[in-house]
Amino acid sequence: MNDAHAGERAALYALGALDDAESAAMEGHLRVCAECAKLVGEAERDVDTIASLETRRRAPDELTKRVERLLAPASRQRASWPRFAAIAAAFVIGVLPSVYLWERNAAMRDAMLSQSAAMDRLATSEHRTASFRPTSEALAANVMYAPDGSWYVIVVRGASHALQVAWMHDGAQTMLGVAVPHGRVAMLYLPKSHRMEQLALMDGPRVVAEAQLP
Amino acid sequence: MAGTPGDEEALAVAFAAHERWAFTRAYREYASLLYSVAYNVLGNGEEAQDCVADAIARLWRSPSAYSAQRGSLRSFLVVCVRNEAISRRRRQSRRLRLEERLAAMPVEHQELEVGDPIERDRVRRAFAKLPDDQRAALGLAFYEGKTHTEIAAELNAPLGTIKSRISLGLRKIAASLGSDGGDR
Repeated sequence: MNDAHAGERAALYALGALDDAESAAMEGHLRVCAECAKLVGEAERDVDTIASLETRRRAPDELTKRVERLLAPASRQRASWPRFAAIAAAFVIGVLPSVYLWERNAAMRDAMLSQSAAMDRLATSEHRTASFRPTSEALAANVMYAPDGSWYVIVVRGASHALQVAWMHDGAQTMLGVAVPHGRVAMLYLPKSHRMEQLALMDGPRVVAEAQLP
Repeated sequence: MAGTPGDEEALAVAFAAHERWAFTRAYREYASLLYSVAYNVLGNGEEAQDCVADAIARLWRSPSAYSAQRGSLRSFLVVCVRNEAISRRRRQSRRLRLEERLAAMPVEHQELEVGDPIERDRVRRAFAKLPDDQRAALGLAFYEGKTHTEIAAELNAPLGTIKSRISLGLRKIAASLGSDGGDR
């Protein structure tokens, strides 16, 4: 393991015992390293076990309304028109550009981290390529993978929204991750420790493409 | 509701795919747990509400924060909210000790306490079973919200040793709580 991997810091992260900068670095790494995500997930379960036994309180209705407003589509939010107009004007002039850029930057950063790891593998390691057989002509997808199964890069073109990637084995589906489109292409880098012979792209419960990996 | 393992898995997959309905359902499912986790760190209802709302907002703005490899969505959310609460607590300029905060805390009748004292005793007993060095390090991390650097300085031990003690202590206490008949 190199310094980027979680190791014993998995427990520190789950307990909140890293400082803010270390936590942010860990969160960035967890987006691109499935092994560390699993390790941290185990530590999170341990912390959850302890935290769940502490004093419980009912969430105030006020908080629930606040979170539901936060997650509601903008069109459903109601406000009196003059107040809405003033807020909207201020929002458009002052807040919207910075929120938009912030979100764009965060999404771009996530995509770049993942794509950087994928490109590094593709440029420096021997790999094979297999094509997905899509159910729609609009979709085209390939998977590049290490012969020993240590990593997989899934590239999807023509997807209008996020697709889940699943490992098909023994009559079962194991969800591996989500390929989120940025522009016309969605890419997902999956470091793994085992060989997978059949992958599928899923749109909710529906298989939209399958690939055999010889 | 994410009651069965299949429901939980479907919710986790949809949450990873950043589906709006999954965020709403996950919040509804775990609202009281997440609020309690924040409250137990911050000791204040208003701050706990801000903390939960901010944590959910941050996740909503970060499309790939959760992935299926992470495992339990519930545990992921608990840790997200708890880390946000600890971070807030560290930023607070006033650093009241836990006892002082509890003494100053107003009684909030609208929030019914639903915790079981027996359950909390189980945690205390599990902590008591840990070796002294692991209990001290883990206690400072879990209850005091200190960083590993602060804990190393306070216990006068190397950082690597502190990391190991916390990591081992956490695994032991979770195993102990999981094996003595408890149910989350």
